[in-house]
Amino acid sequence: MGFRGRWGTRAVLALTMSALAGSAWAEQAGGASPAAQQEPRRGGTLTAIIQPEPVILTAAINTAAPTGVVTGSIFDGLVDYDANLNPVPALAESWETSADGKTLTLHLRKGVKWHDGKPFTSADVKWTLEQVWKKIHPRNQATFAKVTSVDTPDDTTVVLNLSEPSVAILSSLNSNGAQVLPKHLYEGTDILNNPHNNKPVGTGPFVFKEWSRGNYIVLERNPDYWAKGKPYLDRIVYRVIPDAAARSAALEKGEVQYAVLSPVPLKDAERLAKLPNLRVTTQGYEWLSPWLFADFNVERPQLKDPKVRQALAQAIDRNTISKVVWFGFAKPADSPIPSTLTAFHDTSGITYPFDPKKAEALLDEAGYKRGADGVRFTLDIDYIPYGDDFKRTAEYLKQALKRIGVDANVRSQDTAAYTKRIYGDRDFDIAITWFAAFSDPQVGVNRAYGSGPIGKNIPWTNGSGYRNPQVDALIAATQGEADPKKRIQLFKDLQKVVLTDLPTLPLVELKFFTVEAANLKHPQPTGDQVYGSFRDFWFDDAKAADAKPADTKSN
Amino acid sequence: MTVFEISAPAAPAPRARDGLLLRLLRQPSAAVGLTLLVLIIAMAASANLVFPDDPLDMVTQPFLWPGEDAAYPLGTDMLGRDIASGIFHGARVSLLIGAVATLVSLVIGVGTGALSGYYGGRLDAVLMRVTELFQTIPPFLFALAIVAILQPSIPTITVAIGITAWPSLARLVRAEVLKLRHGELVQASIALGASDLRIIVLHILPNTLAPVIVSASILVASAILTESSLAFLGLGDPNVVSWGGMVGAGREVLRTDWYVATIPGLAIVTAVLALNLLGDGLNDALNPKEAAR
Amino acid sequence: MARYLRRTIAQIAFVIIGIAIINFFLLRLAPGDAAQVMAGEAGSATPEYMAALRKQFGLDQPLYVQFFSYLKNVLTLNLGYSFRQGMPVSDLILQRLPATLLLMGTSIAFAVSIGGMLGLLAARQAGKLADTLISALALLFYATPVFWIGVMLVVVFSVLLDWLPVGGMASVEAGLTGLAYAADVGRHLILPATTLGLFYLAIYTRLMRASMLEVYGQDFVRTARAKGVRPRRIAVRHVLRNALLPIVTTLGVQLGSILGGAILVETVFAWPGLGRLAFEALFQRDLNLLLGILFCSSVVVVLVNLAVDLAYTALDPRIELS
Repeated sequence: MGFRGRWGTRAVLALTMSALAGSAWAEQAGGASPAAQQEPRRGGTLTAIIQPEPVILTAAINTAAPTGVVTGSIFDGLVDYDANLNPVPALAESWETSADGKTLTLHLRKGVKWHDGKPFTSADVKWTLEQVWKKIHPRNQATFAKVTSVDTPDDTTVVLNLSEPSVAILSSLNSNGAQVLPKHLYEGTDILNNPHNNKPVGTGPFVFKEWSRGNYIVLERNPDYWAKGKPYLDRIVYRVIPDAAARSAALEKGEVQYAVLSPVPLKDAERLAKLPNLRVTTQGYEWLSPWLFADFNVERPQLKDPKVRQALAQAIDRNTISKVVWFGFAKPADSPIPSTLTAFHDTSGITYPFDPKKAEALLDEAGYKRGADGVRFTLDIDYIPYGDDFKRTAEYLKQALKRIGVDANVRSQDTAAYTKRIYGDRDFDIAITWFAAFSDPQVGVNRAYGSGPIGKNIPWTNGSGYRNPQVDALIAATQGEADPKKRIQLFKDLQKVVLTDLPTLPLVELKFFTVEAANLKHPQPTGDQVYGSFRDFWFDDAKAADAKPADTKSN
Repeated sequence: MTVFEISAPAAPAPRARDGLLLRLLRQPSAAVGLTLLVLIIAMAASANLVFPDDPLDMVTQPFLWPGEDAAYPLGTDMLGRDIASGIFHGARVSLLIGAVATLVSLVIGVGTGALSGYYGGRLDAVLMRVTELFQTIPPFLFALAIVAILQPSIPTITVAIGITAWPSLARLVRAEVLKLRHGELVQASIALGASDLRIIVLHILPNTLAPVIVSASILVASAILTESSLAFLGLGDPNVVSWGGMVGAGREVLRTDWYVATIPGLAIVTAVLALNLLGDGLNDALNPKEAAR
Repeated sequence: MARYLRRTIAQIAFVIIGIAIINFFLLRLAPGDAAQVMAGEAGSATPEYMAALRKQFGLDQPLYVQFFSYLKNVLTLNLGYSFRQGMPVSDLILQRLPATLLLMGTSIAFAVSIGGMLGLLAARQAGKLADTLISALALLFYATPVFWIGVMLVVVFSVLLDWLPVGGMASVEAGLTGLAYAADVGRHLILPATTLGLFYLAIYTRLMRASMLEVYGQDFVRTARAKGVRPRRIAVRHVLRNALLPIVTTLGVQLGSILGGAILVETVFAWPGLGRLAFEALFQRDLNLLLGILFCSSVVVVLVNLAVDLAYTALDPRIELS
């Protein structure tokens, strides 16, 4: 539903922890470990939900979530990330950074083949980096900006030469962050219009088979996969199911056994988690570390004054947003760097606790006294139309601001209109949206504060219009700093400045969830499981008999 | 999504001895429809008295079921907003959307139909082609496009519904006007040198009133339904409560707290039912010949 | 007849150009373009990426150039290319067309046959309890929001009773072929077709009832009755035949509206039809695709109305096409 957008309609979270404690959570913890001891079974078809439907099936040129989810099983990453976001070997078996931080060497796995039988080599990596990541990839043009040249001494060695140390590269090398394309199918073609964008040829555990638009995508087991004996499943069917209630029913009935990115309404997740045939888990999104925030348009007269922004911050109860608006599938945020990025997260004690009285006092001080009608000033709130949760967040803000005498009008619009309004026309007062912080704040957080893209109509950049040379300098410094300790300090300094000036108010850290069948077994989800592969997934048929209704007998 | 093509009464309504209201009330279904409609209008009118506070206020804990707390007889929604208050205030907005959208349709539809039927010839040909054009574009899709482009708010939703619902009305009026155009009354007026505008306004339109009123009652109903469908697809105005918007918001919790969407849904069903019953009754009352059968 | 066909062709041409103009300029009014949508979905973008997309989509050309190339395409019946989907528009539409036709055809057949039957029944029992019940029921289905009926049918028949699948058009996993596949699609079709059909059921019930009553009152029926023809025979031979005319007309007029209603049903039941495709094209600012769908649906509407006119002559020999 167009209007619903990127992650689908649903929303996430409604599980209060107490409700979870009951069934699903307990099972989920236990579900993974006994599975590890059990011998995985071969065979079976896994039906998963993909919503919204991907635009294309190549994450190297489109980083939208649905593309990342489906291609995660078709393309292996150079690395995967464990639950603590450390890189673990995938297509690259090992890697090392030189002492001066200016050379990154990747040692590729031997004997890996593309799905069309051609060997996967360092030339593919070099070509993709130079022609796709540095030229077309929406995020990687910045991430790989410091790469000056790539050497391929042999078929399995890739050497990245950097102009300055670049720590962030190692946190963006998974299938979604840096997908490697087959050079032999892309070289010399119009990359954006290459037919293989929709019929991908990868190296992953599953081979693309068929895509019926608006209906389903089928992947089949890769018999020549480099990990012998894997994958266990025979087939993956991704079904496009636009309505949230229908997704919920399909999962409940067992017609679908896996769905990521909060596929059902938050309130429904609570219900599904209690069913014996389903599990609900918030693991596998650590690499994304999503945070929800409100951008204040600092160019607007009322919002120019940091005091006003601080006042508005104190009028908003972030606990209510996480518990009521997001049904518990969120955690109050106090910094733009989510607490999941433990090394970087630091508020320096600058917090804005919920205190409407203080907020009113600050507004009085700033010269915005209540008028005869009790109103201090009016403003508009725009929200990103990714689902009802975002809309409810805007509705909550409207009511919260009303209590301190600020009359807000909520405006809804579709995604294209929203991004143009915020990032192009800059015709807004308060804008609610979310970013993925990713495992390194350089990739996901810096973009909210750098003054470069302001007003240039580039979505998901600095929406507030905040320009601070000190912040720009800090951002530049984080990109070239090789010493992790110094780099962390730079991020701490950055947080201190932006939390004081408050052009952007962090609201909550979102917790996306996955719904999966109880008889679907796999090891502990990786930190980027949402964009990962089904390589290690298998069905425990003993359980399948009672967990899945007759309808899926075809499995 | 105008669905009912209203068949015009076969002849202009003969003058009956009894008043229209009395004739209406004599038919049980129309009486029911009228009563329900009066009740809904009373709710809309009294909303500010019965529930003086903003219906969007989060007044208490979320998901109070109907009857759980006497202070909130119809319960509260996911943000702790009073559903009863929403129903009362929503009646205003939903009726307003229905009425104004219908007014927009009436202005365009009656205007087009009257001009087309009265002047005929090239103007008729052009206007009818345009009408056909509008009829071939799926009206709901068209309304969706307009709302998406102008961005959802009560005025844009209302105008979009109005702009897409007029073609059947235009055809209806044109057919009526064609009949009257060659009638004695109009011919006599032309002979007397009356201006076209005067003839259309004084002699033609009043005689098309019966089928138009019947159509209008059903257009109002269909506008209320369309608004709820738009809200279901996420195109509602978040600043005001409307029944459609409430259903749209409640759809996410349909499986767990079904009353959140069902209560405003029932309100819509009631209103649409009332308007249709009334439309039927009007049709019969304004056209006793058919009613007699 | 020749004149009639000429007129129909002129009408189609007018509709095509009209739709092209409305669609082009309406979508131009929309804030943001396809590149904006894609960059938005990507979660990140750079000016270079946006520029590359705009160039790819031809959005970097001046407006008048875009409009004329668009018009030229339309007039040569070339529906163009959907850059977003990376496929020719005609391919996309052809992929979805069978699902749409199946859903609409079944719903209409359901609405007309059941609705017609109920109307017939009501007319024969006019004024009695059965009449009131049928009319009330039909009205109730009409007054209930379509999506609500859809979701409720899913809850009852798929989740609680487990008789029918929740959504989609076929069990892809099963890899069925031939008759088994047809039966599988049939099972998936029941709920969506019923949902869409129930809404339109009311119209045909009422229409049938009204026109039956009208025809009953006409002279030739009275004559037949006076001649002692049996009531059942009167109903079928004399009345039904004539009462079908308005039904057929309404059918033609409503086709566009049914496609609109299908958006809701396709959403609820994950039915891969054109309504949903159009809906998504709108939000993705996929101009070529949206135009292509509107164009096709208009042509279908015009053609069906042509068929309706022809059916008229078959049902009522007194009518001639002019």
